Amino acid sequence: MKYLLWAILIISSFVLQARLSILGVSPDLSILLVYYAGIKYGEKKGMLTGVLIGALEDSMSLSIFGPNLLSKGIIGFFSALFVTGSLFRWTPFLGMIAVLFLTFLDNSIVFLSLSLFDKAPAAISNALFISLMQSILNAPAGILIRPKDAD
Amino acid sequence: MSKKNFFLFFLLIVVSLVLMTYQSKKGHFSSGNHLNNLLNKTSWAVKSFTDALENPFRKIALRDADNQRLRKEIEALRLEREKTQEVMLENKRLREFLQLRENQENYVATARIISRGMSHWANTLVIDKGTKDGVLKDMSVITPKGLAGKIISSAGSYSTMLSLTDINFSAAVRFQESRTEGIISGTGNRKCILKYIPYNEEVKPGDIIITSGLDSFFPAGIPVGSVSSVDSKGSGGYFQYIEVIPFQDDSKIEEVVIVK
Repeated sequence: MKYLLWAILIISSFVLQARLSILGVSPDLSILLVYYAGIKYGEKKGMLTGVLIGALEDSMSLSIFGPNLLSKGIIGFFSALFVTGSLFRWTPFLGMIAVLFLTFLDNSIVFLSLSLFDKAPAAISNALFISLMQSILNAPAGILIRPKDAD
Repeated sequence: MSKKNFFLFFLLIVVSLVLMTYQSKKGHFSSGNHLNNLLNKTSWAVKSFTDALENPFRKIALRDADNQRLRKEIEALRLEREKTQEVMLENKRLREFLQLRENQENYVATARIISRGMSHWANTLVIDKGTKDGVLKDMSVITPKGLAGKIISSAGSYSTMLSLTDINFSAAVRFQESRTEGIISGTGNRKCILKYIPYNEEVKPGDIIITSGLDSFFPAGIPVGSVSSVDSKGSGGYFQYIEVIPFQDDSKIEEVVIVK
């Protein structure tokens, strides 16, 4: 049942993000799922969820297989460390900053991987604009997605 | 952090880098058309479902307006006028498409845009016609305004088109008046760049660009866009820096025609 729910969530996030757009930029809802898995289930399961979602995104993209797998895996791993690890104690503000930072990190890893191993997918200024917009669009979700032991 | 988790994290980075290095040398793995197909079907189902949900709400809104007679009449008249305008606009658009279809010898299919592509980086659009309708990779996508892009992948009932403004798009073009040839490329934003026009060619804003057909991908004579700015002072390189605004804005496309 849990896996079915996750499958529905993943497909819904793909469908929704293909339909939503603000200033020509779609929010990256799949990052939010990976972030949620990371802070709820810890670094290992967060990373594995990220790898799975990233692999699906890579299979559907028209470029090389790997950039999203790597970036989402790293996001899943870091979201557990960043928010529930010994470094920080979760607050709504930190949650927002974490999502903002992790979304930007995800985009940066994908952009760098594509630029290094395939073709640069956009001009740097454009990539920066898209990454910033996506980070800002995703950030408010960091207030709502909270760890189990949050107050 | 446990050693096991750190090892897994390290393994993820190594495996990803090996995968990408391998593909950069040997070529891409085959794409997941089945997954895309499933996603497109889901998109279509969600669109149908939301449309079906919205229609009754529109009717309810009209019934509520009945309670306030004067307002209702004004509202109804306004709605009627808007609907008529919408129908007139649609009628005009369809006439243009019909005209386009009759004019194009290599007509393949007329398609509707159903969603944006999955990649956030690429300017791609998904259309509701695929291999079943004869739509194949590398076919041209046009609208009554001009060139819109090309098909980059095609599955049963869906295809993905690469927009004219995408950084990976390029096409052989020429000026409509002077007949000088060049290559147009997308930039990732609204404008395109016209390349390989030497400094001795006189180019001015407003000049019209059409496809030349020399790349054997796009039929000749399709309007592409007009020159918006020219740097002909020789600030660098051997060619002029020319920006072109496409006639077809890819954020406003609803229907397209696919031609061979």
